[in-house]
Amino acid sequence: MLRRLLICLGLTTAVAVSAHAAEPLSIPPIAYQQRSLANGLQVISIEDHTSPTVAVQVWYHVGSKDDPAGRSGFAHLFEHLMFKSTKHLKAEQFDRLTEDVGGHNNASTNDDFTNYYEAVPSNHLQRLLWAEAERMVNLTVNEDNFKSERAVVEEELRQRVLASPYGRLFNAVPKDAYLVHPYKRPGIGSIEDLEAASLSDVIAFHSTYYRPDYATLIVSGDFDRAELDRWVDTYFGPLPKPAAPVPHVTAVEPAWDKDRRYSEHGPNVPLPGIVLAWLAPAARNADDVALSVAAALLSNGDSSRLHQALVYRQQIAQRVNFSSDTQADNGLISTFAIMASGHKPEEAEAAIIAEVKALATAPIAPAELDKIKTKIITQALAQRQTAEGKAFAIGEAVLLKGDAATVNSDLAALQAVSADDVQRVLKKYVLDAHHVTIDYTLGLDKPGDAKPAKGATK
Amino acid sequence: MRSDEMIKSSQRLTRRAAVMLLSAAGACTAAHAADIATDALPEPGPERKVSIPAARDATLPNGLRVVVVNRSVTPLVSVALYLRSGAEVDPSRLAGLTDLTAGLLDKGTTTRTAPQIAEAADALGGSLGTGAGYDASQVSISVTTPKLGAALDLLADVVRHPTFAQEEIDRERKQMLDDLRLALSQPGSVAHLVAARAIYGDGAYGHSAGGTPASLPRIQRAAIVKLHDTYYRPDNAVLVFAGDVDLEHAVQVATSAFGDWKAPATPLPVTPAGAGKSVLAPAVSVDISGTGQAAVSAVHRGITRNDKDYYAGLVTNAVLGGSYSARLNEEIRIKRGLSYSAGSALDTRRQAGSFGGSAQTKNSSAVEVLGLLLGEFDRLATAAPDADELAARKATLSGNFGFRLETTRGLLGEVADLALYGLPLDELARYLERVQAISAEQVRDFAKAHLGRDGIQVIVAGDAKQFADALAKAYPKLERLDAATLDLDNPTLRPASKKK
Repeated sequence: MLRRLLICLGLTTAVAVSAHAAEPLSIPPIAYQQRSLANGLQVISIEDHTSPTVAVQVWYHVGSKDDPAGRSGFAHLFEHLMFKSTKHLKAEQFDRLTEDVGGHNNASTNDDFTNYYEAVPSNHLQRLLWAEAERMVNLTVNEDNFKSERAVVEEELRQRVLASPYGRLFNAVPKDAYLVHPYKRPGIGSIEDLEAASLSDVIAFHSTYYRPDYATLIVSGDFDRAELDRWVDTYFGPLPKPAAPVPHVTAVEPAWDKDRRYSEHGPNVPLPGIVLAWLAPAARNADDVALSVAAALLSNGDSSRLHQALVYRQQIAQRVNFSSDTQADNGLISTFAIMASGHKPEEAEAAIIAEVKALATAPIAPAELDKIKTKIITQALAQRQTAEGKAFAIGEAVLLKGDAATVNSDLAALQAVSADDVQRVLKKYVLDAHHVTIDYTLGLDKPGDAKPAKGATK
Repeated sequence: MRSDEMIKSSQRLTRRAAVMLLSAAGACTAAHAADIATDALPEPGPERKVSIPAARDATLPNGLRVVVVNRSVTPLVSVALYLRSGAEVDPSRLAGLTDLTAGLLDKGTTTRTAPQIAEAADALGGSLGTGAGYDASQVSISVTTPKLGAALDLLADVVRHPTFAQEEIDRERKQMLDDLRLALSQPGSVAHLVAARAIYGDGAYGHSAGGTPASLPRIQRAAIVKLHDTYYRPDNAVLVFAGDVDLEHAVQVATSAFGDWKAPATPLPVTPAGAGKSVLAPAVSVDISGTGQAAVSAVHRGITRNDKDYYAGLVTNAVLGGSYSARLNEEIRIKRGLSYSAGSALDTRRQAGSFGGSAQTKNSSAVEVLGLLLGEFDRLATAAPDADELAARKATLSGNFGFRLETTRGLLGEVADLALYGLPLDELARYLERVQAISAEQVRDFAKAHLGRDGIQVIVAGDAKQFADALAKAYPKLERLDAATLDLDNPTLRPASKKK
C-alpha cells in the first residue's frame, strides 16, 4: 500500500510515458519549465492552478541496480529510512507535514531510480521544499529506527513474494533472465541480505548517492513561480555538490546467445503460470515507442490480440499480459500468462509465440493501429488530469529517457508509429532474438532456488 | 570539503528546524501556527478553499435518473450506469448470479458479438467495466468528450440487449471459478470471505458475491435471463456522469440511448435481509498451508450508509486506521515493524455494514498482531482522542476527499455513492463541514458502540500450524477451518455432509 516497491514487471499495462493524439484527439503538451542550480540539482516545474494543491517530488537517480554487493534490497530499504529522523526532523515527521495537513506522501524504488513524492494543500509548499532539502543532506537514522524499518521491509517481502501466489514467479524473472546486469537482483532483496545490512551501510549509501547533482526536483500544481524559485534557491541552493564522482553501474548486459528455460515453484500455486522474456533496448532508444505500441496491440484492452486468442477464443489462460518495460540501461520485453484450470504453461507459450509471429508478419489493419493509439492517448489523458499525474509523467521521462522533453515528443512519435515500425521492432527484439522461458508450478522449492530444467537450453 | 559545506548548510537549516520542532509539538494545527516567529520556518500560507463542483440531476420520463457533476479541466468523461440491485438479490443456492449476469452484459448483444463489443470500447479509447457489489450492479466507461455519444450507445446496448449465449455463460463461469481459486489461495481474500459469514451469517451480505465453487456450476441461463428481466429496468437505475459534460448534454445523450427503455409494470421484488445471524465461533482460524503470511482481522457488525452516525464513523475510522499515520499502522508497523501495512475499514451498505481492523504479518506474529488490534479498539472506545490527533486525522480525511475529486473516476464514485443510497446530492459540498463537526467524544462513543469486545469476530487466515494453537489459548472455542475445504455456501463454512 504505502511506500511501495515499484516492481517493473508486466503486471501493469505498457502505456507509461508515451502518449499521443491521433487526428481527432489532441492532448496539449505538458507545459513545464526547467532549470539547474549551480550544485547540479535539476528543477522542473509545472504550473496548474486547477486545485489548491501542489505535488512535490524528488527523484534520485539511484535505484535497486545500485544495491551494494551482498545487499540486495538495500536501495529499497534505504528508501524507507528516508522517512526516519534527520538532524531537524523527527522520525515520521514527513507524515506530520503531509498527512496531518490534508496531504499524502509515498516513495518508490525502481531499478533505476528512487522517487519521493508528496501532494499537499498549496499553502504548505514552502515547508515541504525545506523538508526535502533537509533529508537530502541531514539524514540521521538510529539503530532502533533502522531495525524496526528493516522488519517492515521483511514483512513487505513476505507479503509481496511469499504470501502472494505469483510473488515467487515475478521475483524470479529478473534473476533468471539477466546474465550479468545488476537488474538481475530482485529489488525487494532477500531476508538474508536485508539482515546483513547495517547502519554504516545506510550512512555510506546516503553520502554516496543522495546529493543535489544526482536528483531531480519536480513541483507541479498551484504555486507562484517567483515564490517557488526563491524557495528552491533558499533551501536547495546552499546544498553542497560533493567532489567525489557518483559511482555508476557499468555492467552491460550482452545480447543473449541462446534460449534458456527455468522452472520455478511455490507451495501455493492455484493455477500454473509462465513468463517469456526478451532483452529490450534502453528506454531512450528510438524504438521504444514502437515497442510500446506493439505491446499494447498484444495486450492493452479486451480486444487486444493475446486476450482474444488465449483468454477468449482458446480459453487456455486466466489472464495474459505483454509489456515492453524499457529502462535506463535496457529492460525486458516480457509476457506472462496465468493458465486457466486444466491447462499447461507450454500451451500458452506456443499460443503467445504464434500471436507475436502473426502480428509481426501479417498485415495490420489501419483501424487496429488507430484503435490502440486512441486507447493509449485516452489513458495518458486520464493520468494527466492531476498535477501529481503530470509530475510522474515528467519524472519518468527524465529518469528513464534522460530528457523531460520526451514527455511531449513521444506524443508525436506515437502518432507516427506505422505498421511497418511495429513489425520491424517485433522482429528485431522478439522473433529474431533469444528469450528466457520460466514456468511456474506447485512445488516445494524455496524461493530463489530455480535451477535450469534439464535439456531445455539450446 | 563536503563536510564543511554540510555544516554550513545544516547551520542554515538549524535555525529553521528549531522552530519546526516547536510547531511539530503543536502538531501543525492552525491554532499553534501563529506562535511561529516570522524569521523562522514560515508558517503555512493562507489556506485556499477547495472548490467542490455541484452535482445536478434530472429524471427521464421512463424513470431513469441522470446525475451529472461537471469538471471540465480535461476533455474526459467517466460514465456509469448503476442498477440499485447487487449480489444481495442472489438466490440462496446461486451465489454469484448477479455478478455473473453483470459480467455477461458485454459478452454479446442482439447486434454485436463479445469481440465486437471489446473492439468498439477500445476504439472509443475506453474499456467497459462490469460487475456487481452487494448493493448495486454497474457498467462503466471513461472516454474523451467527443466520444461520449458513441460510448452511451454502447453502454445502452450492453445493458438493454444482452443475449446471454450459453457459450459465453460457460466461458464467464469458468473464469469466475478460476478467480475464486486465486482468491482462496491468498490470506487477505480468504479472511475477507470468511469475515462476511462471521459478520452477516446467513444474511444476503454473508455469501460470496463472486460465487462459490459449488454455486457457479448450478447457475442456468434461465436464472440469468430472469435476473436481468427483473432488475435491469430504468426505474431501478441511475446513470451518473462526471467530467467534461453538463446536465443538458448528458440528458440529451441519455435520452438518445435510454429514452425508449421501458420499465415493466410489475413492482420490484422485496430485497432479502442483508444481515442474518452468525453461527461461527467468535474466533476462527483458516489454514492455507505453506503461505508466507497470516491475514489477521477483527471485525464487527456496523452501520448503514444512511445512518445518522455515518460521519462519526468516517472520522473514527480515520483515527483508528484510515491512513498511514493512524493508530493501527502506528502501533503495528511504525513502532513494531510487524506488518507492511495495518489499517481499518468502515464498510457501509444499504441494510447493514461492518467496521474493523486488519493486517498481514508473518505467521508467527499473528497472535501478537491480533492483540494489538484489539488493544487499539479498546483504547479508542475508552478515551476520546486529543484535539491535535483529531485535527490531523480529519485533515487527512478531508484532503483525500479533495484529491478524489480531481479525477473523473474519483468524482464519479463520490457522486454515485450519494445517488445510489438516495442521499441529497449537495452532501458532496457538505462533506468537509460534516467531518469538521465531529467531536472527540463522538469518536470515542462511536468506537464504544461499534468496536466493543461484544460481537467482535476474529479471523486469522494463514499457515495455521504456526499460530492456531497459540490462538486457541486466547480463544478456547477457536473454530479451525481449512481454505481447501471451506464451504462458502454454508453459514457454518463447513461442508454440509460433515458434522461440526
